[in-house]
Amino acid sequence: MKRFDFVDVTLRDAHQCLWSTRMTTAMMTPILSEIDRAGYAVINILGGAVFDVCVRYLHENPWDRVRLLCERLATPCDALTRGQSLYTFELFPDDVVALNAQLLARLGVKVFTVYDALNDNRNLESSVKAGREAGMKINGWMTYTLSPVHTDAYYVERTRELLALGSDYLCIKDPTGLLTPERGATLFPAVVKAAGGVPVQLHSHCQSGLAPKVYETAIRSGFSAGYTASEPLANGASLPATEEINAIARKLGFQTSLNEDSLREISGYFRWLCLREDKPCGKVAQYDPALYEHQIPGGMISNLHYQLETMKLGQRLPEILEEIARVRKDLGYPIVVSPFAQYLVTQATINVVQGERYKTIPDEIRKYARGYYGKVAAPLSEEFLERAKILPSEMVHERPGEHIEPWLPRLRRELGPGAGDGDLLLAAFYDRALLEPLRKPRPEYRFKTSPLHELVAWLGARRDIEHARIRFGGTDMTFSA
Amino acid sequence: MAERNLTYEDLVQIVELIRTTSQFSEFRLKVGDIEVSLKRANGAARPVVQEGAAAERSPEQAPVERKAVSVSENLHAVRSPMVGTFYRSPMPGQPPFVEIGQAVEPDTVLCIIEVMKLMNSIEAGVRGTVREIFVANGMAVDAGEVLMAIEPRA
Repeated sequence: MKRFDFVDVTLRDAHQCLWSTRMTTAMMTPILSEIDRAGYAVINILGGAVFDVCVRYLHENPWDRVRLLCERLATPCDALTRGQSLYTFELFPDDVVALNAQLLARLGVKVFTVYDALNDNRNLESSVKAGREAGMKINGWMTYTLSPVHTDAYYVERTRELLALGSDYLCIKDPTGLLTPERGATLFPAVVKAAGGVPVQLHSHCQSGLAPKVYETAIRSGFSAGYTASEPLANGASLPATEEINAIARKLGFQTSLNEDSLREISGYFRWLCLREDKPCGKVAQYDPALYEHQIPGGMISNLHYQLETMKLGQRLPEILEEIARVRKDLGYPIVVSPFAQYLVTQATINVVQGERYKTIPDEIRKYARGYYGKVAAPLSEEFLERAKILPSEMVHERPGEHIEPWLPRLRRELGPGAGDGDLLLAAFYDRALLEPLRKPRPEYRFKTSPLHELVAWLGARRDIEHARIRFGGTDMTFSA
Repeated sequence: MAERNLTYEDLVQIVELIRTTSQFSEFRLKVGDIEVSLKRANGAARPVVQEGAAAERSPEQAPVERKAVSVSENLHAVRSPMVGTFYRSPMPGQPPFVEIGQAVEPDTVLCIIEVMKLMNSIEAGVRGTVREIFVANGMAVDAGEVLMAIEPRA
């Protein structure tokens, strides 16, 4: 019997999409043992936004989270980094990129996922080399988008590059949920064939509402695994529900290793967590054809609308969305993901507000156009190049990591001999002032809970309740303030 | 029904009911074999304390009201292309791009306007001398707002 495996994203991408990445370690620990029992092949625990939000907003040391989750989970843990930028939008030198991979392996990460937002796989070379030497399996992602240049042949070419890098697994990542079953029917078999037996996985979001059908196409096309989230944190901008894709796989005659009792307990916990923390659960998105035009993720549109409102430009949103499509073409069809989504939105807004295209061009967009971050997918338009006044001598052709000098010698000098690798890396990524709050003591984590325990804790935290009595089965509890 | 454990479904239902009845001083619920009774302090109508991490919010960058700046006719006004944040130096802690009295070329960078987290270098546009800087570092600026005045030089 053929089998289909699952990679859990509940602790990473699901709350990144639905909760602005605000799930704390303390919210995860009580359910970890159940997630471990659920039968996932791999559990994704780290990505750029998780790392950044840990530092900037949750004031948690991200290395501590990685270490703790890897210790607690027997299922292999997966960490995701974005090319030579790792967790942020800046480019880092090769020595920082290599040390990051070594540290992740030491903390217990078993699967090291790498991708580049430009699909310039030269940006993965340093990470892959260091990751493999440190003993991790390499999971190479290619990012899907819609454009005249992102053809099936383009992705077959990326597949070959990722194989040449030595990927143990491959994955098609569809960050905005743009895949359709029809496109999957040609793209998926082409990639599976080019992969030549290396397992291919699917990571697709649900903005268009089509993701479950797209997963079905992937399962039929010979994909080995899919990334999914526990049902309350699935759908909408997040990924499909594990429960739903599991049912589809089984109906197609595939064996899966998921334990339905565990899945039920996990989804119960997260449904409760949404209520307790006043965070949204995922809702199934309605099919929206406009998504295929501007390609801007739903979360980003609401954010853009809010930003435009504060600038008193709210009524110009439709114009700006139209301009985004035009700017994207001029810029050689960048994939609408971080950080390029931001570039498109900002340049389009500036163009509309100034009433003239490219009168002002942000510095980062000039760098992108020069090839500083990597190869662009298609040639840039004459109009843009003329306005940007980029000289041929300013174009960058080498691998982006090559134009950055090593940083570690300087950081070691600055931090002194007592600094560990985690400290060195945090100092490479962030201003010192941002790191100060990470020194606060770690809370006591609970590693198990129950609905009754949660109810008692919840009632106990409410200052308006002076007396409570709970009875069920043979239990009778009374609390008084 | 035999003894059973409270489920998360029960928990969600109970807590939703408690939350929606916060204006009452007493609450009693019996569903199947589960019974919950509560008494609230001081009668009722007390605002419900929402637990959970307080949502951190970055300070809103509402454009500030500022006096209209007048630039005399013989000076070149450098304006902000967009609503954004004005920065005088390339990085925090580094010296400003320019000071009053400094000579500049048309392509000399005078300041940065941050728009939606992207940095826009603003060039002088003319050869001349910086005569005035109207905005303080880190302030929000409007589209078209005058940032600096340059006295052109032949």
